[in-house]
Amino acid sequence: MSDWSYWAVQTLNGLQLSMLLFLLSVGLTVIFGLLHFVNLAHGALYALGAYIGISAATATGSYWAGFAAAPVVVALTGILLYLGLMKRMRRAGPMNQVLVTLGLIFVFVDIFRLVWGDIAIGTVEPALFTGRSELFGVVYPTYRLFIIGLGALVMAVLALVLSRTQLGAMIRAGVDNDQMAACLGVNVEKIFFLVFCVGCALAGLAGAVAAPVFSAHPDMGTEILISTLIVVVVGGMGSLRGAIAGSFLVGFAQTFGTVLLPHVASLLIYALLALVLVFRPTGLFPARA
Amino acid sequence: MLEARSLNRAFGSLVVTKDVSFALDKGERRVVLGPNGAGKTTLFNILAGELKPSSGAVLMGGRDITALAVAARARLGLARSYQKNNLFGELTVRENLALAVATARGAAGWIMRDTLSDAGIAEDVRDAALAVGLTEMLDVPVDAVSYGVRRQLEVGIALSTRPSVLLMDEPTSGVGPGMIQAFHQLMHTLPRELTVLIIEHDMDLAFDVADRITVLNYGEVVFEGTPDETRGSPMVREIYLGEWDAHA
Amino acid sequence: MFRQSLLKTLTVLAILAAAIAYTFTTGYFGKELVIEAATLAILAISLDMIAGYGGMISLCHGAIFGVGAYTYAGLTVLFEVNPFLAFAAAIVVSAAFAFAVGAVTARTHGIFFIMATLAFGQMAYVLVFENKALGGDDGLAGVPRLDVSPLGLDFNNSVQFALFAVAAAALSYAAAAWVLRSGFGRTLVGIRVNEARMKAVGLTVWRTKAIAFAISGALAGLGGAIAAQQTMFVSPELMAWMVSGTVLMVVIFGGIGTLVGPIVGAVVWVFLKHEISSATPYWHIVAGTVLIITIVAGGRGLYGQIEYMVERRRLKRLAAAGVPSTATGREDETHA
Repeated sequence: MSDWSYWAVQTLNGLQLSMLLFLLSVGLTVIFGLLHFVNLAHGALYALGAYIGISAATATGSYWAGFAAAPVVVALTGILLYLGLMKRMRRAGPMNQVLVTLGLIFVFVDIFRLVWGDIAIGTVEPALFTGRSELFGVVYPTYRLFIIGLGALVMAVLALVLSRTQLGAMIRAGVDNDQMAACLGVNVEKIFFLVFCVGCALAGLAGAVAAPVFSAHPDMGTEILISTLIVVVVGGMGSLRGAIAGSFLVGFAQTFGTVLLPHVASLLIYALLALVLVFRPTGLFPARA
Repeated sequence: MLEARSLNRAFGSLVVTKDVSFALDKGERRVVLGPNGAGKTTLFNILAGELKPSSGAVLMGGRDITALAVAARARLGLARSYQKNNLFGELTVRENLALAVATARGAAGWIMRDTLSDAGIAEDVRDAALAVGLTEMLDVPVDAVSYGVRRQLEVGIALSTRPSVLLMDEPTSGVGPGMIQAFHQLMHTLPRELTVLIIEHDMDLAFDVADRITVLNYGEVVFEGTPDETRGSPMVREIYLGEWDAHA
Repeated sequence: MFRQSLLKTLTVLAILAAAIAYTFTTGYFGKELVIEAATLAILAISLDMIAGYGGMISLCHGAIFGVGAYTYAGLTVLFEVNPFLAFAAAIVVSAAFAFAVGAVTARTHGIFFIMATLAFGQMAYVLVFENKALGGDDGLAGVPRLDVSPLGLDFNNSVQFALFAVAAAALSYAAAAWVLRSGFGRTLVGIRVNEARMKAVGLTVWRTKAIAFAISGALAGLGGAIAAQQTMFVSPELMAWMVSGTVLMVVIFGGIGTLVGPIVGAVVWVFLKHEISSATPYWHIVAGTVLIITIVAGGRGLYGQIEYMVERRRLKRLAAAGVPSTATGREDETHA
């Protein structure tokens, strides 16, 4: 493999990780921006998406069944959590939110072990995207290109919805100042709920999409949670631009860090997080001026 | 004792403080008047150190303190009370005052002794409570007292640090006539060497306690003079027309 | 403000007596549980000091605990330093690490503070994990216990080591209570209740926070150095962020901001975990559910709820006796 194509592959790896992180963090960040709610269980929802995706694919024999089922089931789970628990924790302060959702992580991990066992399980890629593709002389797994494309598509749709539609304007108003938005006649509660559902669905989608690449195991949510939180905090809580910037920053720092500085790679993202928190606590692209 | 030199401050394109200069002598009682939105609280925050001016300087006792943070200014003897109560909610009145006294006396870091049971600190706490009329309320939690009592404590905390300069942001805002009367009395019992700057809406109080009055409008000092001169100024009359008629 | 109430004293003494009695009557495994509960209690006390009283919800206390464990293990195993010296060094190094974290994070609040402590904890974890000299992810084995033979004692005897751990926990409580009852402890509570006003009356807030972190870190390091001796082994797992999360859960479960609650929490946690784990492999589902119920029920925790009720009755009695107080249970009202 030529030098050029090696770096091209690494870039694609970075892109693919960034897109997964984006799918996970965009929900988390907008939920935080709107609801001021810190949901540590977001990673567990991602894992749930992976498991549902695998089970649905195995049951039907089609990857796409899992692809469709995961976001729906995870969103439904999210609705249950929201109505049963998170709604009443809305004004309970960050510590209680962190703790309740930490408790949820514990519960979820054991549910995964109960239902799907302790051992990692995998699934196959969809027939449409198996094998490898060649692009300008670079050979890369087709399925991973699909992940990159899917992430870019979601990114574009969200950007359009947020900037061009009435709903998007209401969400932005809510992030900016929820009381003011409520005064202006925006049904803030309804929007919170909708955003929460979409955030959960995207986490589920990310899980289903990641399953063929990483295979599902009970701790997968806990493992990716920290990276996701870093994306959210570094980017700036509550903003789409922040989620995009944070995802790329963390995704590429992790990918190239592992290649270039294997020993300090994992240190890199924590140092990044610490630096941002200490010197620019609102993140790089804060939602509020 | 306290001096503002050409202070400027803008938020974006909105200039809130514009070339403000004045100087307070030691022991002077100065009242800053001005309609809503005149930039009084911004000026106050610049003097206390919570906001940095875009340009200009704040001097205390001849020393430039512009670069100092809130806590450092407080340690030099600059105390402030807030327009909105800013108290230690779940603690008692005594604990509120003791925290301020202990910090001012450099006892906040005591590991081997308790500031709540220290005789010297207790004495300062009693003095401050007496000054603002809270002697009977010392062991009541702040969460359980009335708004008026909280206003008294607000000033009490500032006083209990034994400051040399005291900044008060609308100390009587929102309280009834009885308490305003009590506040007039408090002002007259303050040690004469204490320099005081008060932001006020209440004309009567201003004319009663002030040695000099500074009037702000649109962020600028538009008038400075004695209470009598202020009363006679057509410009001040114009700025304050509505309120003036209601009060005078 | 911290008050060493009769209820606190009685509860601590009761637990102490029970721990000693249990140590003498139980088998080997029971003693291991006593030691585990004692180290967890030390760590929980350390966290409650800054979280419950100082309002600083740290998610790096597992890492500080680990720094203590690794300092002790590293010095004794790799450099054959005298265990007593290593023990002291573990406490000092943990305190220094905690001081640095406290100083750097002092300006952040709320969720940002929680995330910042998480970041520093994870940095320590990664540094240890990637460090081949410290055994990397395999950890270090063969950690010796303190050599107390000059005193005619032997810490390889599990009764004696368990009693040592219990004594350390009791001393940790006493030290924390002492600090919280001092001027410094009052100041710390002042910062939790209204940091801006503490600044306005002249306090250098970051310094108080950093020192509080250092004191808390010294206790956490003490716990870590004892834990390293118990298992005679250290691994990066000690420092993973879920350990910090677990300690926070223990503090909440027992009662945050009560100092005794964390001890109750640690004891109940360790023994409950043991009982449930022997019946089913799904202990976490129970732990998570218990935590969620604790928070939804008001977040006062096991001991915290009892103290709240006792304290409320006391204040009512005082009010009835004519003391001008309309207070109702203010002690632990605003930790949420």
